[in-house]
Amino acid sequence: MSMPETAATSDAATPAEPLETDLVHKARRGDLDAYDELVKRYQQRIYATIYHMTANHEDANDLAQDSFIKAYQALKSFKGGSSFYTWLYRIAVNKTINFLKQRKNKQHFSLNDLDFQTENNPDLVALISHKTPLREVGLTELQKKLNEALLKLSEPHRMVVVLHDVQGQSHEEIAEIMDCNIGTVRSRLFYARQQLQGYLTEYAKPA
Amino acid sequence: MNETEQNFEELKKLLTIKRHEVPPPGYFNHFSGQVISRIRAGEAGGSQTFMERLQAEAPWLANFFRVFETRPGLIGGMAASLCLLLVLSVIFADRPDAASKNLLAVSEPSPVSGGPVAAMAETPLLAASADSSGIVASTNPVTSLQPTATLFGQAGASPLFQPAGFMPAGH
Repeated sequence: MSMPETAATSDAATPAEPLETDLVHKARRGDLDAYDELVKRYQQRIYATIYHMTANHEDANDLAQDSFIKAYQALKSFKGGSSFYTWLYRIAVNKTINFLKQRKNKQHFSLNDLDFQTENNPDLVALISHKTPLREVGLTELQKKLNEALLKLSEPHRMVVVLHDVQGQSHEEIAEIMDCNIGTVRSRLFYARQQLQGYLTEYAKPA
Repeated sequence: MNETEQNFEELKKLLTIKRHEVPPPGYFNHFSGQVISRIRAGEAGGSQTFMERLQAEAPWLANFFRVFETRPGLIGGMAASLCLLLVLSVIFADRPDAASKNLLAVSEPSPVSGGPVAAMAETPLLAASADSSGIVASTNPVTSLQPTATLFGQAGASPLFQPAGFMPAGH
């Protein structure tokens, strides 16, 4: 099972606007079935964002659940200035960043397994094929190195890379989620990529 | 921009590995159910934590407390300074005359200046009354300013005060 994180898949999963508004209205009136529908709709993306930030499945599970619960409790304060999806993302992002600040120096991996499609990804195959003859070992090692490198970035820089390069969000969406301007998003992304490239020179050489 | 994008092409390919990291099979089948049951449990018990209530009612205060969570040294420093302040206030509350004497010493003019004002300052009424009574109410400085004897009662003792005479000339 692959998480729908790319821009293409997220576009496909984005619901029609009126339906989402309708669900939000119902949930505000205490309709838990409507909220259940909203949770199902966004659970994978919210979980994935938090997971990529923490590199820990258990933490991501707790934080994702907490984010949805907090969003439900705060639904009355949701004015509808942005989409419910952006608003929910903002709650999850803030919760994750606060959590990571408290967890500083206590980082421990609990990485998810790679799905079966990984070995068929031509980009990844090309990247590791000349590094090691044992492809599986190479991928697992690559996964670990990548997560280590990501955890070396500051939380805002990591968040921008995760949202843009992993989740496929646009600069505008990220700016709205992180409550900053697009220029800041661009500069953070550039700096974060530079840092990552430095940490992963063995795998990601500049062209 | 294109050049920099090209420079990061390998890195972006590498980052695609993150998209293949998946939680255990069937994880999302129960996720929403768990969220909803936690919401139901919270509603039934009405059990919002103190911090959650504070966040809803006074977010600035919740953020203030959160600073202490992230920097435990800060709360120690603040507690130490509060203790110090408390100890200092207790010490100074117990010694009011020291404070008032210090105040007088500061305002006391030099004896060289002379004159009746200087003479009064040389025999401070305040100090005399404090010494004679032995008890000074620190919270009522006005009473401590009252001399034990009236100025007129001591008139003979002081060269500054002479009894007023009303004798017509020639008698």
